[in-house]
Amino acid sequence: MKKLSLTAPALAEIIEVRKDTDKIKTFTIKYVDKQDQKRFHFVPGKFLMVSVFGFGEMPISLSSSPLKTESLQLTIKDVGTITHAMLQLKKGDKIGLRGPFGTGFPIARFRKKNILFVSGGCGMAPLRPLVCAIADKREEFGELKLLYGCQNSDHVLFREDLKEWGKSGGLDVLLTVDKCTPDWGGSCGPVTVLFNKTEINPENAVACVVGPPVMLHFVIKELKKCGFKDEQIYASLERLMHCGMGKCAHCNVAEKYACIDGPVFNGTELAKMPLEEK
Amino acid sequence: MQQNFLLKKEKLNEFLTALSKEAKVFVPALNENNASCFLPFKNQEIFLSKRTSFSPKKILLPPLEKEFIFRKKSSSFKIEHLLDSKKRVFFGVRSCDTHAIKALDKLYLEYFTEDEWYKAIREDITIIALQCSKSCENGFCKSMGTNNPVGHDLLFVEKEKSFFVEAASERGKQVVQKYRDFFNQTNFIKPEPKLKFGKKLETFGLKEILDKNFSHKKWKSEAKKCLSCSSCTQVCPSCYCFLSFDKFILDSGDSERFRAWDSCQLKRFTKVSHNYVFRESRESRLRQFVMHKLSYFPENHGLPLCVGCGRCISVCPVGIDLTEIASTIRGDVK
Repeated sequence: MKKLSLTAPALAEIIEVRKDTDKIKTFTIKYVDKQDQKRFHFVPGKFLMVSVFGFGEMPISLSSSPLKTESLQLTIKDVGTITHAMLQLKKGDKIGLRGPFGTGFPIARFRKKNILFVSGGCGMAPLRPLVCAIADKREEFGELKLLYGCQNSDHVLFREDLKEWGKSGGLDVLLTVDKCTPDWGGSCGPVTVLFNKTEINPENAVACVVGPPVMLHFVIKELKKCGFKDEQIYASLERLMHCGMGKCAHCNVAEKYACIDGPVFNGTELAKMPLEEK
Repeated sequence: MQQNFLLKKEKLNEFLTALSKEAKVFVPALNENNASCFLPFKNQEIFLSKRTSFSPKKILLPPLEKEFIFRKKSSSFKIEHLLDSKKRVFFGVRSCDTHAIKALDKLYLEYFTEDEWYKAIREDITIIALQCSKSCENGFCKSMGTNNPVGHDLLFVEKEKSFFVEAASERGKQVVQKYRDFFNQTNFIKPEPKLKFGKKLETFGLKEILDKNFSHKKWKSEAKKCLSCSSCTQVCPSCYCFLSFDKFILDSGDSERFRAWDSCQLKRFTKVSHNYVFRESRESRLRQFVMHKLSYFPENHGLPLCVGCGRCISVCPVGIDLTEIASTIRGDVK
């Protein structure tokens, strides 16, 4: 079967908009061409180049379950011109999609292992498909734990899923918020504070980290302190791609391109990269 | 069959005029600002005295290129895909620039997936290379192994009253066949001009040296001078970064998508959400320029992204010289 075009955007329709927070919405989307929808499949961690016609194109990670490909979901935060325009769109509006691009999480390598998910803010969006895929074959994996840091209690994404995964999937969820409000009974501070609140055992474990660059830096440090080796760590890098095909060079990190070699990289590759080139 | 010919110098413009009837011909010439670059042939004086200040990159990768028009159709869009394919001839391409085209081909045609816009322009180009008869300001092509042209169809070597012409490809042979009246067969062998180079770049083991000296103090001291003007990346024949943006066609609901040259020397190049910038310091940006050319690209593609033309050195307003950076770092390696 013909693959989805990487160069020309395919038309897609927004079939549902859900407001997650004051600045974040989740869009459920279907390709206009039914054949395109049939061709669509992805590995958790991959992203699409999303066109909001007249405003531009941006890379957005898929946030839906890879098992449900009759539609797809994108969870988008208003952080700039294109995302802002996207958040104004309604049911029935058309957008363009290219991809999926990049390499995802190598789930087959996680079999029989304990998995620690670490996420900050919108980083939960690309982690969701991964958790969905693992929860679907729950018996093939060991213990599952999620450390999730948000701005405040209103910014916790996918609450329903978290509850569901906690109940049926045996996912141990630990939350923390940057700004504590009186109604919040849980942890306060960045996601790294959670490392002291639970036992984190590197033995037979892998860690999957998605979040903003600063968070990534500190979480990897924390994981190393706990005894995680580079090869046990997988992280998704945030970069602003303009092409997705290793050409525009915006996501170039040393010899690698986040768009084709990543965005998910193993810790052994990350160790060779100048990630915090200030 | 003998493949070497002579073309009388006074016949050059006539030959280019004949080529213009079937292809868009680009020649080295002076523009309205007196800068030497590749311009559409209009029977103007051909700039032959030295390599041009700008390479033919501007034609292969236009500084601003329209990729799509998104036509609003009631509640949907019709996507028009724009590709600029036509017959083109590049006349007078210097050896360094043929190597730059080779590097661009590697990235845009072979790596991961081909780029449709580049391919459309690149597909039908006849390249007529021009052998340099003297070394140029700041050039170090010999160090980079780029002092002999590659991938060209015809090679011109300037002699006193004529050009020595060698057909280097099937396409080149066909051009000579077709315009046979302009060419006289010759038994001369190709003249080999002896060039002297003022600059050198020792490339042996350079990638490893640069990789190991990522935090060398030279980056900081050199970056202190840098103005982040991005002149280096603009004149570079092989710098290829671009950005993409949309624009509304006012009053219609239609919009267009463009790609435009970008530069790793600009701070916004690595900006992501919440205004986080990965390469915030001039030091990190200058290092990216040099490392991309001499370490990262060679690692991925097996050839350097620097062709030794020396244009970045000539154009730099503060005298930053990548050969000097590389040799200083090498010199400190014990």
